[in-house]
Amino acid sequence: MQILRKTNLKALAKAHALGQEGVIALIERKGLEGRGGAAFPTGKKWRTCHDTQADERFVVCNADEGEPGTFKDKFIILNNPKTMIEGILIAAYAIGAKRCFIYLRGEYEFLRPKLQRQVKSMLKRAKTDVTIEIVRGAGAYICGESTALLQSLQGNRGTAMSKPPNPTRNGLWGKPTMINNVETLTCAAQAVLFDNWKPEVRLFSLSGNIQNPGVYEFPIGVKMSKVIKAANPKRKLKAVSFGCFGGIMPVDENMAITPETLMMEKCHHGAYSIIFADETNNVVDLSLSIAKFYTYESCGKCTPCREGTVRMLNLLRKIHSGEGSREDLPILCELANHIQETALCGLGQTCGNHVLTSILHFPQDYEAYFSKK
Amino acid sequence: MSERTNLMEGGKDEILLNVLHRAQEKHGYLSESVLKKISSKYSIPIAKLYGVVKFYTMFHTEPQGKNIIEICGSPSCVLNNGISLEQFLKSELKIKIGETTQDKLFSLYKTSCIGCCDEAPAMLLNRKPCTRLTIDSLKATIENLRKEAGEKKE
Amino acid sequence: MKLNLNGKEMEVEEGKTLLTICRENGIVVPTMCFQASLTPEARCRVCLVEMNGELVTACSTKPREGAAIITNSKRVLDARRLNMELMIPNRSCKSEDDFEACEIYKEVGMKPRFSQIKNYLPDLGAAVIRDNNKCINCGRCVRVCAEIQGVYAIDFASRAHNEHVTPYSEKHLSDVACIRCGQCILHCPVGAISERSHVEEVMAALADPNKHVVAQVAPSIRAALGELFGMPAGTLVTGKTVALLRKLGFNKVFDVDLGADMTIMEEASELLHRLENGGKIPMITTCCPGWILMMEFFYHDLIPYMSTCKSPHEMLGMLIKTYYAKKAKIDPKNIVVVSIMPCTAKKFESARPEMESGVDYVLTTRELGRMAKIMKADFASLPDEEFDPALGISTGAGVIFGATGGVMEAALRTAHFLATGKELEALEINEIRGMKGIKEGKIVLNGKEIRFACAHGGANARKLIEQKDKYHFIEMMACPGGCIGGGGQPIYRDPDTLRKRTEAIYSADRASKIRRSHENPVVQEIYKKLLGAPLSKKAERLLHTKYTKRSRF
Repeated sequence: MQILRKTNLKALAKAHALGQEGVIALIERKGLEGRGGAAFPTGKKWRTCHDTQADERFVVCNADEGEPGTFKDKFIILNNPKTMIEGILIAAYAIGAKRCFIYLRGEYEFLRPKLQRQVKSMLKRAKTDVTIEIVRGAGAYICGESTALLQSLQGNRGTAMSKPPNPTRNGLWGKPTMINNVETLTCAAQAVLFDNWKPEVRLFSLSGNIQNPGVYEFPIGVKMSKVIKAANPKRKLKAVSFGCFGGIMPVDENMAITPETLMMEKCHHGAYSIIFADETNNVVDLSLSIAKFYTYESCGKCTPCREGTVRMLNLLRKIHSGEGSREDLPILCELANHIQETALCGLGQTCGNHVLTSILHFPQDYEAYFSKK
Repeated sequence: MSERTNLMEGGKDEILLNVLHRAQEKHGYLSESVLKKISSKYSIPIAKLYGVVKFYTMFHTEPQGKNIIEICGSPSCVLNNGISLEQFLKSELKIKIGETTQDKLFSLYKTSCIGCCDEAPAMLLNRKPCTRLTIDSLKATIENLRKEAGEKKE
Repeated sequence: MKLNLNGKEMEVEEGKTLLTICRENGIVVPTMCFQASLTPEARCRVCLVEMNGELVTACSTKPREGAAIITNSKRVLDARRLNMELMIPNRSCKSEDDFEACEIYKEVGMKPRFSQIKNYLPDLGAAVIRDNNKCINCGRCVRVCAEIQGVYAIDFASRAHNEHVTPYSEKHLSDVACIRCGQCILHCPVGAISERSHVEEVMAALADPNKHVVAQVAPSIRAALGELFGMPAGTLVTGKTVALLRKLGFNKVFDVDLGADMTIMEEASELLHRLENGGKIPMITTCCPGWILMMEFFYHDLIPYMSTCKSPHEMLGMLIKTYYAKKAKIDPKNIVVVSIMPCTAKKFESARPEMESGVDYVLTTRELGRMAKIMKADFASLPDEEFDPALGISTGAGVIFGATGGVMEAALRTAHFLATGKELEALEINEIRGMKGIKEGKIVLNGKEIRFACAHGGANARKLIEQKDKYHFIEMMACPGGCIGGGGQPIYRDPDTLRKRTEAIYSADRASKIRRSHENPVVQEIYKKLLGAPLSKKAERLLHTKYTKRSRF
């Protein structure tokens, strides 16, 4: 796997040789995109951060992977942590930061002791005055969102903030702060060192009703059938959910998985986490579990998300209990669309996808509950 | 960021989250007196500190059971029989989510996703993952913990 | 910078928010969580407008060159309405305190269709009460408490739909370091926070034939009460207020201005005494119960600097039960003293054990208005009446207590006379007037320069404390604007309201026949007949108090 290639501090040495401008230009040229889900060009982010006037800058490695169905960052921290740490050091060098953080989600506490040792040894080996602190999350999905993460780091409630100001220009304690995901930083180190590094390769987290769940590497554009083959389902598959926020769609073996093809099905690739549900499931149940997730993890700051997610959940519960009717669907869609349009942050803006796509693609599953009445 | 955010410059040297984790590990939970101490030491108004603590599901302001179970509620776990495990735990421990058993041996929580979807269904037991759970394996785990506690008492 | 606003090309200044631009162009954009004095948080999502095809919050968005903004499309109106419906699933629009929400409610054309999901126990404090079931999580109370008042008594806790405003550990406001200033009440758009009402108790006393019920009216009431009856801000309604209280059945109506004059006599003497005898300097005023609580919670080392004078209505309350009772030959036990105050903290103050208060009940301006409405009194058509002369002769010095800087100005007028035997040349001390957060000035007393400063708003008070050693005399007021902006005053939305009320206060001073406390004939008579001189033993016992160290939690 490309993601497991070790860079052994050679990437950092090459970065030093290239100079700050050189390494940023290289990252831009390699076409590295953020792997947290938003796919923002990493080089552009680095450049903005570097070019913003400030006496202090920070790098934050976002290890608050919390999207249900996603476990690729855990995979990297377990299997190639040193390359990730090297990526942090390269980013710090590129933008001129001395203080770096790894925001490790509370649920990954069991990874921390080893990671701590590796950070220590890497810093020693790299002979650098850059510091890397591990910040321990405490159970809040929203803190993976960059503005909420910064609030959390600064000792506030981890609520999302309006942008601008963008953290890249005005982040931690008002200073330019670069927030990159674990996979992004690991890729950054690899992209710097390896000439044959392939930007189109993505980590897929596969889980659900399958026999071979795990992290796989596929290029963007991979055929669904190939992914399913690797996943090895026991029974016939019915639906795939792209994490929680990417939406739910029917299994289409012939589809090539690209942002564009998914968009046609009103879905979003996110962090390429695919949850498979087989024919024994009703998609409403899947949607209900996703609605519970959002109702629990909304930060509560903005009205549509705070009040809307719980109303969507209540409606889905009503339908699930057999008390619902067709009249509930327009209200569900109205709420889902409304939250997407008016919520403050990415969580709210995507929290209705599962409702909209499940109603679009699986009306018969809703009907099944209505006719139970 | 807003003015209100930057009022507490005190957090710059030590990250509050790490302070809170350490305090909770030392005292078992973040009692009012612990919060008052942190509030004084770091000049954080206590209402704000309480608000921060209550934002995160892993901080507790009440005494906790000796073993904290966080059962995963992610779709991947739900698709792999997760709900029946939750029901089993509730009936076996005779508590609801968020409660602690009378013998103070277990506290039960539900969490959104612990990133163990590849080994679903899963839970965290005292912050360590237990994966590929079945009702039988859960039963054995609970019984072991009860036995351990009983032995220690004797 | 060029913009297109609802199809109209226009030139606007860069750096302004869409909300500012819309309002400057006369376009109504409803807001709930936004208040000009507070950091915008863009929580409520009611001020939505369309910018280049996307819905954005006007309060937090600064447009770029060439942006196309639409404020009245169906999409915009629907989105606003739905957010209001989600926030306020059931709304009665019965109480006058939530008129702001109700105005928007009508404006966006809401139809309640979601069920209420909140289920909280109300927080029933002795001064301020909160009902989280009405709360819409706009956070204005949290921000005013932190940003303007510097108290941080409340914050949000929990998250998602369980997010709620609370003091720490879900305690009651009365059990935590809350200064009871009531600014949260003024800033709440839905009436979820209010004062603990004493209207019923007062009405019971009025109905009791054995009770001699006396009202005393604070200076700032006359500059604000009219607003509750539809009069414009800044309308002076002194005479009508007196008439209203008589109509409601009060046996006597006195003016707290007289208490203020007594405070000035004692306080100015205390200042001079400290200056001459090497007492603790700066001396800090203690008329404001919100500030006293702030000091007792957070600044224990300031206790020796505090003046020991009771606040004006406490002084007058004491004088009513001693001097007036004797003069009118009424058993003090049968006298019920009701203070009409702009303030919720006064409710706490009059219940202090060490105060040996003469005051039985405190009603806020709003409660008086409510009482008038219950009794169906037509305020606008009432005649102008005079205070009862026994304790009703007031001075301009007493009136200006209502505005920030007023106590200091009044005290300096008298201190100058007491110290030098001559009147101050310029009666109006302009450097301590107005809405600047911290104001300072100096005068010369017997060849010695006296530096003074005043702060209003708790956060400004905190700043002034940091530099207190530069001054000899400091006035502190917890509420922005002083008492005219008190937490018991009519809820206002026009930010210019405070300025207009202040102007009314100063015009009342200018219209006063007597403008200096020491010239008040009743004051002179009280000293002659009862107290002897300022700071006498008897004055100490009746008019001075002491302070308590309280936990800062």
